[in-house]
Amino acid sequence: MNWIKFIRQYGPIPRNDNMYDESIQRAARKRAVRPIIFEHPSHHSVLSLFDAQREPTSVILTGTAGDGKTHLCREVWEKLTGERGGLNEPLVQASCTYAGGRKIPVYIIKDLSEWAPQGGATWDPAKEQLLQRFCRSIFDSAASEVFLVAANDGQLIESWRRLSNDPHVARARNVFETLLVEDRQELPGINLKFFNLSRGSSAALFDRALNAFLNHEGWEECRNVSAGEQDFFGINCPIRHNYELLQKELVRKRLRALLELCDFNDLHVPIRQILLLLSNAVLGHPDAKDCLMRPLDIPTLIQRGAISKASLYNNIFGGNLPENRREAITVFDYLERFRIGHETTNRIDNILIFGEADEKFRAHFDLLVASDRFYGADDRYRAAQLEYLEGTDDDGKYKPFLQLLVSKRRGLFFVIPEDLENELGLWELTVFKYAGEYLSRLVAPLRAARPVEQPIVARLIKGLNRIFSGMLVTTDRELLLATSLSFSNAKISRLLEERVSVRPRLHEKVEVTFDGMLPKLTVCLTEQIARSLDLHLVRYEFLSRVAEGALPSSFSRECYEDILAFKGQLLAALAERQQLHKDLETEHSLTIRLLNLDDVGNPTEDIIEVLND
Amino acid sequence: MIDPASIVPPPHPNDHKISPWVDEQIWGHRLWDSESPWLLFLEFLSVAEACYRDGNLLREDERFRPLAFKPNKRMYLRNILFNNEEMLRIAERHPDSASGWTAWLQTIEEKAFGISAPRDFSFLKKRFHSFHQFAAIVAMIRGSDVEGTSNKRWTSRFLFPFGPNALYEDLIANPTSGTVSRDYVNFGRTGELLYLMLCRSSRKDELTKHLTRILEPGGPWNQLVGLLQPANADDERSTRGNSYLPYKQHSTFDRLSGDWISVLTLRLPRYDVLPYLVTLGALHIVLYQLGLSIEWQERAKPLHLVCEIVAPRKSLVRELSFESYIENNLLPMQAVTAYIDQIAHSTAWRDALNDPGGFVHCRQILQDRVRWGESPEDYDGPSDPNALLGELRAVSLSGHKQHVANVHRSYGREIGLVSKRGTNKLRYAPTDSLLKALLLANVPDRMELGEFLQRLFDRYGFVIGDRQAENVLPKELFDKKAFQANARRLEERLGSLGLLKRLSDGCAYVANPYRQPSI
Repeated sequence: MNWIKFIRQYGPIPRNDNMYDESIQRAARKRAVRPIIFEHPSHHSVLSLFDAQREPTSVILTGTAGDGKTHLCREVWEKLTGERGGLNEPLVQASCTYAGGRKIPVYIIKDLSEWAPQGGATWDPAKEQLLQRFCRSIFDSAASEVFLVAANDGQLIESWRRLSNDPHVARARNVFETLLVEDRQELPGINLKFFNLSRGSSAALFDRALNAFLNHEGWEECRNVSAGEQDFFGINCPIRHNYELLQKELVRKRLRALLELCDFNDLHVPIRQILLLLSNAVLGHPDAKDCLMRPLDIPTLIQRGAISKASLYNNIFGGNLPENRREAITVFDYLERFRIGHETTNRIDNILIFGEADEKFRAHFDLLVASDRFYGADDRYRAAQLEYLEGTDDDGKYKPFLQLLVSKRRGLFFVIPEDLENELGLWELTVFKYAGEYLSRLVAPLRAARPVEQPIVARLIKGLNRIFSGMLVTTDRELLLATSLSFSNAKISRLLEERVSVRPRLHEKVEVTFDGMLPKLTVCLTEQIARSLDLHLVRYEFLSRVAEGALPSSFSRECYEDILAFKGQLLAALAERQQLHKDLETEHSLTIRLLNLDDVGNPTEDIIEVLND
Repeated sequence: MIDPASIVPPPHPNDHKISPWVDEQIWGHRLWDSESPWLLFLEFLSVAEACYRDGNLLREDERFRPLAFKPNKRMYLRNILFNNEEMLRIAERHPDSASGWTAWLQTIEEKAFGISAPRDFSFLKKRFHSFHQFAAIVAMIRGSDVEGTSNKRWTSRFLFPFGPNALYEDLIANPTSGTVSRDYVNFGRTGELLYLMLCRSSRKDELTKHLTRILEPGGPWNQLVGLLQPANADDERSTRGNSYLPYKQHSTFDRLSGDWISVLTLRLPRYDVLPYLVTLGALHIVLYQLGLSIEWQERAKPLHLVCEIVAPRKSLVRELSFESYIENNLLPMQAVTAYIDQIAHSTAWRDALNDPGGFVHCRQILQDRVRWGESPEDYDGPSDPNALLGELRAVSLSGHKQHVANVHRSYGREIGLVSKRGTNKLRYAPTDSLLKALLLANVPDRMELGEFLQRLFDRYGFVIGDRQAENVLPKELFDKKAFQANARRLEERLGSLGLLKRLSDGCAYVANPYRQPSI
């Protein structure tokens, strides 16, 4: 079927990445199929800048490969010229009528890396001149020309460094760096809008991409083929089954949650990667050519009884691909970090391994595993299970079963119903045990402008206190800012500088806020003095684990260093506040507050006061 | 090439009974290997404090006369902190403060060493609410000693430098005479050299302002330590000095002061800046030693150190870093040999060779240049100039190998530049703390990673990424992929320390955490 052969093009086939766009277009023409298209989330923001009501503004589109930069350039071209095609050269020129009826030339560079000199070569003087005009135009409020430049962020900075030093070029480079590193769209006084497409929400992209994928007319064609039991798109066809699974509410929800959590870990999945994920999910099979099934493979696979290897649940993590290929693909690298399939609990494994035989686990086994006639407990599974349970001590014999278990656990992640989530510990199938709570009890209320529940905030405070002091304190009603005698970053800090109240008291408070993209923990010392800590998923997990007893040096060193750095900032803020109250302090005695713990973990203070001569 | 005009005339031979005087002419008096970087820094601080007290911070005599200074001894403080085992036992046995004081004062006044009579510790009673509070504070302060784990004599235990009240010089107790005096085992004079280097750096005025902040008698902890010392200032100080730094200026001095100023400008909370000053100070001493070794040999190739960011497996970069370390480790010895060879090639020597009665001249030349050769104790072999030179070489090298030759290795290991981690030979493998110190000194706000690697190469000679390796290594040894992987590992290490912001597309920025308003 042409549609299936076409969507293979989106999958993890070996190809030259620079030619992605072209090869999709070519394949679409060849198969007479419409490419998968949907409106980019930034579509309106970008296109509205080229409008008769606006002032002329230059635009930079940046991000990684597959973020949709070229696509957006094409949309702008179409708006300005009315043509669909024609954006074939790296640099093209159009014009746009802006506010006041001014008609201004618009230069579009749809791919800076194509246009810029390769390797260590120097710039062509004509091209250099054009870019210098670009640099000048963004500092000129009455610009007479507008530029739209699309480039990967690394390319952008690199190319600008190789331009010869002109004060505008240097200033422009500074502006780009600031916009990139500080994650901003514009700077005051600069005539430029900066869109970093890799800052968008992967989950939002997923929604659009999935809808476009599932609702494509290509599937209609597949359905219209009258298929027998052993045929492609028949009742036993794994491709059809995978397609139907993807339409299931629960599967979509869980997959979207994973991508959303990637966003909250600062990992962005570009559009190209999402389409790869979808294509691989539906077509993946380890034994097929390029590990993607084709219609003519189906009868053989069904006959061989090998359809369970086409499990959608396993394909989502790239389990159908050889390891080195999987590791090189961004979306599988990100999803792999959840370690789904490798993490588990006794409960889950008992269901999977002993479920059929043991009464205790039978009900869950039937519901979650046995009911799936494609990817649940098929003959292959049962055989390996038997070997594992009753086989000899020989090492090699149970390896196939353990590998199958990985696949089954992945299946469970997408199949455990919502009402059993807590009982079975859905998120303990991942390395982020607190991820479910993160989404439902932290992000959801913040998005709805409701306050976060007290127990959640309390746990974060407890985690912070344990790291700040290096001791197993249990207090969660105040934040303990402690240092050691010599270094503020020592592992154990017993000198108490201050206790900051969590509940609003005088001007102090600690609260969890939201800036539209990420939750933040904000510590306010006065009305003007405050510091924030971004609560990525990793940091949330880390703090929660520490609060529940893990040692600060486990799980993530990066988080540990980040939190210590936050403590340093809070101490600096405290010093700032103390400067304000300097006249109120007595210089006659020196007070030292030594932190100690009682049996239950409550912090107590030994106050040592020393007199000055 | 060493410019003779930039060399400070050496001190009078009677000031130093050192023979032959070779290492000292190349690197100064003296580079000492048994000084750890912290001791080096503390020695520097004790010199700086003494000069600050005299109103001469970082100001040197115009004629470069040997620096003389009077560091504090602070015997009261040290006896209380480190020669005072009975204190906690007395505190337990005497729950009542008055009897506790009586018992303790009796013990300490008997035991106190290095203080001339009367040994009066009773000033302490007025300053603390009770004896037990005093004991708790002493225990707490004692706990912040520097490198307290090594078994040193109590007169060589040092306090964390909270301020000038906590600074004092290294001493040895002479049990027979009941006095203390200076030996140069822990404070080996390299700290004095460090001080002189800063005196002769181009940015010393700026540095003076920062150092004044550290040496100013302020801050609560400094006050606390001050409480353990009597109010009258007489400390029975002795005059010290007599070190020698051969160069009036040098790029190393400027780089050292530049790095210190960068780190001090960051205004880290309280004492957090000190460990970075310690690391950078010792690093620049190593680079000074190696750099001068190259200059004296008149080698054209500048100093470079191939650094492996530790990898789980053996790699080409590791092999090259082994070789780089070994090559650099030999440089000081080669410099000594080169120095002696220069004498051999000098006109005076060659004239003496042609002169029939020349052997006596040869001995004189050597005596003038390196204070060795005239006396029969130095040499009493055949009257052959070559044999004489050979003996000089042998004696110089054997003396050099005892201490100066080890500076590169021992300082390198202590600061985390040189290590055997993951293997069984020494090589350059910078640790996280060294990387952090380098970052704080070189990145005021943020910097693209490639630029950072280039800066490390330009300022210190570190070869980590492929661009720098390509410039320095011969073609057959260079492997682009291996060095790219090395740079990537650096990226990961800095990322795990929270010092790097990864953008996509392999574009990464190192950022100084003390410059950002919020994380």
